[in-house]
Amino acid sequence: MRNALTDEELHELAAKQTALGELRGTPAVDPVNVPMIRHWLAAMGDENPVYLERGLAPPAMAQVWTMPGLRRAVKDRSPVDELMAALDASGYTGVVATNCEQVHHRYARVGEVLTPATRFTSLAGPKRTALGVGFFATWNITWYAADDEPVAEMLFRVLKFRPREKKPARTPYPLRPAVNQDTAFFWEGVRQGELRVQSCADCGLLRHPPGPLCPQCRSANRSYAVASGHGTLYSYVVHHRPPVPGRETPFVVGVVELPEGVRVVGNVVDCPIEEVAVGMPLRVTYRPMDDELVLPMWTPGEP
Amino acid sequence: MLSGRAAVAGIGATEFSKESGRSELRLAAEAVLAALDDAGLSPADVDGLVTFSQDANQEIAVAREVGVGDLTYFSRVEYGGGAACATVAHAAMAVATGMARTVVCYRAFNERSGRRFGQPDARLGGQPTSQGLEMSWHVPFGLMTPAAWVAMFARRYMHTFGATSEDFGRVAVAMRRHAATNPAAWFHGRPITLEEHQASRWIVEPLRLLDCCQESDGAVALVVTSAERARDLRRSPAVIAAAAQGSAAGQLMMTSYYRDDMSGLPEMGVVGRRLWEMSGLSPSDIRIAILYDHFTPFVLAQLEELGFCGRGEAPAYIADGGIELDGRLPVNPHGGQLGEAYIHGMNGIAEAVRQIRGTAANQLDGVANVLVTAGTGVPTSGLILSAG
Amino acid sequence: MSEERDVLPELSIDLTPTLVVATALATMDPTPVHHDPALARAQGSKDIFLNILTTMGLVERYVTDWAGPAAVIRRIDVKLGVPAYAGDRLSLTGAVVSRADGELTVEVRGAVSLGDHAIGTVTLTLPEGEDPC
Repeated sequence: MRNALTDEELHELAAKQTALGELRGTPAVDPVNVPMIRHWLAAMGDENPVYLERGLAPPAMAQVWTMPGLRRAVKDRSPVDELMAALDASGYTGVVATNCEQVHHRYARVGEVLTPATRFTSLAGPKRTALGVGFFATWNITWYAADDEPVAEMLFRVLKFRPREKKPARTPYPLRPAVNQDTAFFWEGVRQGELRVQSCADCGLLRHPPGPLCPQCRSANRSYAVASGHGTLYSYVVHHRPPVPGRETPFVVGVVELPEGVRVVGNVVDCPIEEVAVGMPLRVTYRPMDDELVLPMWTPGEP
Repeated sequence: MLSGRAAVAGIGATEFSKESGRSELRLAAEAVLAALDDAGLSPADVDGLVTFSQDANQEIAVAREVGVGDLTYFSRVEYGGGAACATVAHAAMAVATGMARTVVCYRAFNERSGRRFGQPDARLGGQPTSQGLEMSWHVPFGLMTPAAWVAMFARRYMHTFGATSEDFGRVAVAMRRHAATNPAAWFHGRPITLEEHQASRWIVEPLRLLDCCQESDGAVALVVTSAERARDLRRSPAVIAAAAQGSAAGQLMMTSYYRDDMSGLPEMGVVGRRLWEMSGLSPSDIRIAILYDHFTPFVLAQLEELGFCGRGEAPAYIADGGIELDGRLPVNPHGGQLGEAYIHGMNGIAEAVRQIRGTAANQLDGVANVLVTAGTGVPTSGLILSAG
Repeated sequence: MSEERDVLPELSIDLTPTLVVATALATMDPTPVHHDPALARAQGSKDIFLNILTTMGLVERYVTDWAGPAAVIRRIDVKLGVPAYAGDRLSLTGAVVSRADGELTVEVRGAVSLGDHAIGTVTLTLPEGEDPC
C-alpha cells in the first residue's frame, strides 16, 4: 500500500515522470491487418470502402493496434502508472476521461507494425469540479512505424478526483410512527423544523394528540398552530431496561408542557441525566433518525 | 340492577410457572375444567364463555377442547389487564338477562415462556388504527414498555405528593411477605426487605426491578351463574354485589398523559363510584382489597381513587401498615401479581372468592366483602364480591 | 454552396448491448464495464457503456459517411461528457465550421439521453472537387 502524498508531493512526482520523457513500449503483436480492420468497420457500422480497397487502417484505430487486450501481463511500463497509483493512494480514486485528441500524420498501412511511446505531459490541480476535487493528468502517446516515423499521436486527459463522501443510507430507525390523514401534518412539520399543534379552524381550540374532529365544537375544519418551541418538563422517565431497538440506554423520555397549553411526549437530550428535573425549561430540537424520520426532541432551555 | 343477581360458583387454575411446557389452549382448557369441577358442574352445563380480547384462545376452541356444546353467549373484553373484572361483569350481565345460564370466564397465556408484554415491540406503533396512532406519539421515542408508561405517572405522583421510591417499595415488600406464606405463589417462602427493593436495579426510573411484577405462564377460570343457583352448588357462592367498567375523559392506553392531572387514575375513580353506588357499600365495608399490582405505584393511586384514603395520603397509609394482613385494609393476601403470579388479574379474583369461602392460604377472618380491581393505566374494571 | 449544406445529416445510432460489446471487442478493450452489466452496475454505472476508442471511431465514421471516401482524417479532438449506456441512443450532429486550403473542420456533437456524450472537432482534407458541400 502506497502512502498518501500531499498535493505538493504529487506535483513533484508529476515533474519527475514528465522528466522521464518518452518511454517506448512493446511493438504491436500483430501488424496492421485486414481481419481486424474488417471487424472494426463492421462493429462501427463504417461502410467507407477506402480502407479495404487501399489496404489502409481507419485512423481512429491507431490505439487498437497496441492494445494489450486480454494479454494484461504484457502491459508496458508507462510513466503514467506510478502517478495514477499515487493519486489513488492520496484519495483521488475516481477517474473519468475528459479529452481525447488524435493527430493523424498518415493512415497506417496493412503490414506495418506500430510501436507506441508514452510521455507524461502535465498534472493540473487540485481543482474543484462537479465530481469533486481532483487533478487533471495528461499524457501523450505516439505510434511509430519503421524508421521512427510517427504515424499518429494522441493526447489523453483524465480527471482523477476525490469522490464526494457518499453518505451511506442510514439504517432505517425501527420505531416508526403510524401516520394517517389526521396526523400527517405533525410529522411533515417536524421534517420542516416546525412543532405543529392542531387547532380548530372554527373555534380555535388547540389539541394534541390531534384527531379528526374538534372535541369542543365538533368541527372537522382543522388547521394548526406552530408552537414557539419552548416547554417545561411535566414528567419524565429514564429508560434502562430492557434494551429498546434503535436506542442506546439509558435515555430520557419526557412529557413536555407547552406554553400553548398542550403536552407532547419527546426525548430529553443534551442534558446529563442527573440534571433532568420536573419543571426544567426546555427548547425543542429536531433530530433525523434516518433518511426519512425526524423526531422532535427537547434540550435544556432558557426559562 | 345487577347487584346480587349472579355469583362466582367455581374457580380453577393451572400451576403458576415460568415455563408451562404446554400450549395456551391446553392451559385454558385445564383451568376451565378445574373451575367447573370446583363448582360441581360439567362442560355440558356451560352455555357462555368470556375472555380478554388479548387471549389467544378463541371461545369456540376452548369449547371444543373441554366438550362444551351449544354456546348462547360469548364476548371479549378489550384493554389488556383492564378486562379482568369485566369478564365477570359481562358474565353476570349475561346470567342476569337470561342470555346464558352458566358462563365461564378464562384467561390463559405463556406470558413468560411465550410472548412477554414487557419486551419492546417495534410493531406497537406500526398500523394506523386508533391504537397504533395513539402509540405513535410515544413508541418512536422509545417509550414502549408497560414499566416505562407507568413510570411516567409515578414520577409525576412523586413530584406532586412528595412520594419516594421507598413508598413504592413498601408495596412490593408487603406483597412478597403475603406471597411468602402462600404455597401457590411463585415467591412462596421468598420475602424481600425494603433494602433489597432499594438495591434492585433500575428498569425505568423511577421504577426498580422489584416495583415490577413477575412474568408467569398459567391460566385461571371462573364460573359465573345465578346467585340463586350458586347457593345450591358445591361451594358457597361469592355473590357479585357490584361490577363495573370504567374509562375516563381523555383516556389512552397506558399513556393518558394529556389530561389536566397525571397523579391519579380517573378511570379507576369511575369504577369505584359505580361499585359503591351499585353495592350500596362504602370503603369501610370492605374487609380486603385485591388491587391490580403489575407495578407498585398504581397501588397507591388506586387506594386514593377508591376512597380508602385521600389524595396523596397513600404513602402514609401504607407506611402505617395499612395494606398488611393485620392492617386497616389488607391488600392482596395471596401476594398479588408481584408475589403470587401474573395472570392478568384473574388470579386476584380467584383469591377474593377463596377469602369469601374461607379457604385462602392467608385466610382473614370475618370476610364479608372483597373489592377487586383490574388492570390500571388502561380502561379498567372492578368487582365487589360478597358472602351469601 | 449554401449555408444549409454546411450542416451534416444527423446520424442516430441505437446503442444496443450488441453494439457496445462488439465495438469493445473490435477495439481490443476487455474492460468488464463494457460487456458485463452486473459488474458495471456493481461499480455504480447504470449499465454497460461505450468505450472511448469506440466514441472516437463513431465520430470518425460520422464525418467520413458525410465526406466520402476521398476524405483524409487529420485530427479528431473530442471532449468527453456523460456515459453512453447500452439501451440509449447516440445522436450525432455536425456542421462545418471552417474551410481553408482544402482543409475542413467539422464540429461534431454526440448526444445521449443524459446529455452530451462527446463534443469535438474533426479536421480533414479533401482533394479538390471532392468537397461534399
